[in-house]
Amino acid sequence: MATINATMSLGSADILSQPIHLTAAMTLYKGGTTATGLEQMHYHRAIIPTGTNFDLIPESDALKDNSNYVYIANKNTDVTHYVTISINTEVIGSLYAGDWLFMPWSCDLSAAANDSSIELEAFVASNTIEYALFHVGETLVTHTDA
Amino acid sequence: MATTTATITLGSHDISDSNISITNLNYLNTAGTDTGISKTTGLTRVTTSATANVVLLDSSATGGLQVAANATDIDKGKVFIQNLNERGDGSKYVTVLLTAVEIGRLYGGDWMFIPWDGGDGNDVEITPSSTTDTTLEYILFYQ
Repeated sequence: MATINATMSLGSADILSQPIHLTAAMTLYKGGTTATGLEQMHYHRAIIPTGTNFDLIPESDALKDNSNYVYIANKNTDVTHYVTISINTEVIGSLYAGDWLFMPWSCDLSAAANDSSIELEAFVASNTIEYALFHVGETLVTHTDA
Repeated sequence: MATTTATITLGSHDISDSNISITNLNYLNTAGTDTGISKTTGLTRVTTSATANVVLLDSSATGGLQVAANATDIDKGKVFIQNLNERGDGSKYVTVLLTAVEIGRLYGGDWMFIPWDGGDGNDVEITPSSTTDTTLEYILFYQ
């Protein structure tokens, strides 16, 4: 097993009348366990063109353990550039240049195909995206070469 | 305007032969600008034993958030949610949903930070997996 830690610091000195500062730390475990860490990952960088809503992280049978974690960052620098992140018919939100997200992800194969895939669409211009998936398994494709 | 930052560090010394360390600092700005977000719900702590859906952030037409955002879409909110329970035996969690779509599961100690576009009816909801008291903290920054 591997040990993967995710920590976050969230703070502002002036959004409230008093400073606010939150910290959170977690270890990424397999679902239903107390000490068995996730041990597989993907870490990608991609340039996403505009005009198409892509399956960034497709659902698959090997991922359906419901204990996957996703990090996505928009590496563009023009503040008007953004991507939308959605699952099924729901747009979760927009990642503008410099934004990131981190969330658990339930790969659910019980509904229609691709219903739980994480989708991404770029707007205004191509957006450079970095994303990591810490996961429980991967469906490998059997070769079809002669 | 206010200055609010969110920093993440993802790290592992043993998931591969080389150390993995991902760090990213994000200034929480309004959509398409470099002007800082100036509104927040403040930090909320809630304990529930419900096993039915519980609305954390109400984005309905009568919800307080849309009123605060002048009856328009919240547009580029940022949500932090943490399950403060102990992990226990690892069998208990809360399911986080956007309207009726499951996003993922927060086990004890887990946290998440996502953008949230809001809009009429796009509530952020949770469904605890058991009647054991579940304590969450959450905060929304929005424009």
